[in-house]
Amino acid sequence: MKGKYFAGIDIGSTMTKVIIYSEGIRGQVIGPTGPEHRHLANIVMEDALAQARIPFEAVDYVVATGYGRINVPFADKQITEISCHARGVLHFFPNAGTVIDIGGQDAKGIKIANNRVVDFVMNDKCAAGTGRFLEVIAETLGVNIKDMGPLSLKARNKVKISSICTIFAEQEVVSQLSEGIPVEDIIAGLHEAIAGRAFRMASKLKIEGDVVFTGGVAKNTGMVKALESHLGRPVYICREPLITGAMGAALLGKELVEKAMESGKAIKIKERKLTTARVF
Amino acid sequence: MTTASLHGFAKARKIYEDRGLRARELKAEGKKIMGYYCSYPPLELITGMDFVPFRVQGSINEAITKADSSIPTIVCPIIRSSLDMAMKGKYDFMEGFVTAHSCDCQEKFCRIWEHELKLPFHHYIDMPHVVRENSFEQFKEKLIMFQKAMEAYTGRALDRERIQQEIRVHNRQRALVRKLYDLRKENPPLLSGAENLEIMIALMCMPIEEGSIMLEEIIQEALSRGNGPGEKDTRLMLWGSPLTETNLIQMIESLNAHVVMDDICVGTRHYWADVEATSDPMDGIVKRYLSEIKCPRTFRESSSTFEEEMESRFGYLKDFARDWHVDGILLQSVKYCDTHGYEVPALKAYFEKIGLPAMYLEHEYTMAAEAQLKNRVEAFLEIIA
Ligand SMILES: Nc1ncnc2c1ncn2[C@@H]1O[C@H](COP(=O)(O)OP(=O)(O)O)[C@@H](O)[C@H]1O
Repeated sequence: MKGKYFAGIDIGSTMTKVIIYSEGIRGQVIGPTGPEHRHLANIVMEDALAQARIPFEAVDYVVATGYGRINVPFADKQITEISCHARGVLHFFPNAGTVIDIGGQDAKGIKIANNRVVDFVMNDKCAAGTGRFLEVIAETLGVNIKDMGPLSLKARNKVKISSICTIFAEQEVVSQLSEGIPVEDIIAGLHEAIAGRAFRMASKLKIEGDVVFTGGVAKNTGMVKALESHLGRPVYICREPLITGAMGAALLGKELVEKAMESGKAIKIKERKLTTARVF
Repeated sequence: MTTASLHGFAKARKIYEDRGLRARELKAEGKKIMGYYCSYPPLELITGMDFVPFRVQGSINEAITKADSSIPTIVCPIIRSSLDMAMKGKYDFMEGFVTAHSCDCQEKFCRIWEHELKLPFHHYIDMPHVVRENSFEQFKEKLIMFQKAMEAYTGRALDRERIQQEIRVHNRQRALVRKLYDLRKENPPLLSGAENLEIMIALMCMPIEEGSIMLEEIIQEALSRGNGPGEKDTRLMLWGSPLTETNLIQMIESLNAHVVMDDICVGTRHYWADVEATSDPMDGIVKRYLSEIKCPRTFRESSSTFEEEMESRFGYLKDFARDWHVDGILLQSVKYCDTHGYEVPALKAYFEKIGLPAMYLEHEYTMAAEAQLKNRVEAFLEIIA
């Protein structure tokens, strides 16, 4: 597939990620989805195109994924984040058997066998146990989300967080703070609670093979450690755990085009025009 | 608007949208309406006593506001919603109400209904949960009690000939429903799963013979119309708890899939089996309602091995899947349904064994979080593509 370009765009609840792929990653951009940026999926795409030094017309196929995928007018196809994450993970870790993804508003487990998704589980009904939960608590604690992981590693007596509801957990944290419990012990307790939830969810799949941890929460070293201790084995992490969905989207697009070419069928694509995406 | 001028699909749609419409018309003409719950009260006995049977259902479109004063929120949401509708007067055309001990929830439901609604006639059929030699005798006794209760209430006797005649009327409707289902063996199917559910629900809210005429019209229409559901990649079967609206199926069919077959009680479970002609017609009714309806509420004595037991419990689903060219099965259940929830592990094991992809899909009765449900179904479709 020399000279062909494939774009994957993953519109998550928190972050929008774009990959431009052509025999390797040519462009990779991560931007916020947030309320003030809701119309800017195309800008993230433009940044990625600039990195790849190609005009949008040069892209052969665009696949959108993530919960905002239906609102990408310039995508040729929509594919769920389950299939895209699995495909992206397989690119980086060909022996992956289980994927645990914790993003801004959901957590999921994906089971892979023979390079295919065979089963999945999801918690997508409530913020508890997601990245958003950590963001809310970080704000309450006055800690930058990026510092949560390193701080938690300093904990000496991690606390027990008994509430799974974000609001109640926040109250619990406030009262622990007022009792003078060190912030790092509280954060370690939170990581423990979320990792436990993710582990129990993924266990429904009967965890097998290499476990790969993806999504923004995989950037949190404290979470990685907590999850590993539940699993009793190391987890694999991509250099950039946010982009597996977009990567998978680009690769699945490439495979669709290849398949169409093999069978001699034409593949439908949209007019190459970057219009404002509606996310909400 | 009346239903007199309506036929076929349009009539089914109208009655589906306004479940009590036909019943109210009939009541105004002096007919008596007997509400029933679930697929277990034998309809032959109800129509034999000149009642028009009306299947009581809940509605996901109606927020539960009144029933919470009666039953707590941890119980079956469909029962809560049904009671709520009744307490709001949506079923005020009913003369009586019959339930059977189909799932355990319904054991208490009839009395609660009686307490809250105080209709002139209430009856609860305490049917057995097992299919053993003596269960048939026991069930027959309960059905005779039901018949006697209706006879005492109406002052009219129900004789054998009349029961036999009713069996023929109901069997004719069942045959027509099976014929309707045959139209979805085609690819693309000649009607959608959502249309099919609309028709099933409408049939349960109107007189039997009138329903059969409507079915004949629908079959003709489906065969001759050019605008069926069109081409899609995946053919699904839907198993599980009762559906009172088409929303779930519509959501599935908004994706690249047809729902071509079902195993739900507002579908095949209600209509599939005929009543056999027996010298005492009650024996045929007993056999059909106790052992031929394939609902997880019934415990069937297990065979020696797990494999044999699975085959005898779920073999019919394999046949459905083969005959309707099914690519995957959605095991759907409304939250808080024990009857269906306990069946899921065995079903998953069975489908894994026979190599048919299956996914468990749990939903809120109100279809809250529909986007998330849709995402799951979409992922399932990608997996089996
Ligand atoms: N540098 C970081 N360190 C720790 N956590 C992070 C970091 N960046 C993102 N996160 C976490 O990742 C979450 C977003 O993850 P992401 O996979 O992008 O979600 P979505 O796909 O829903 O947008 C945030 O809620 C936050 O908790």
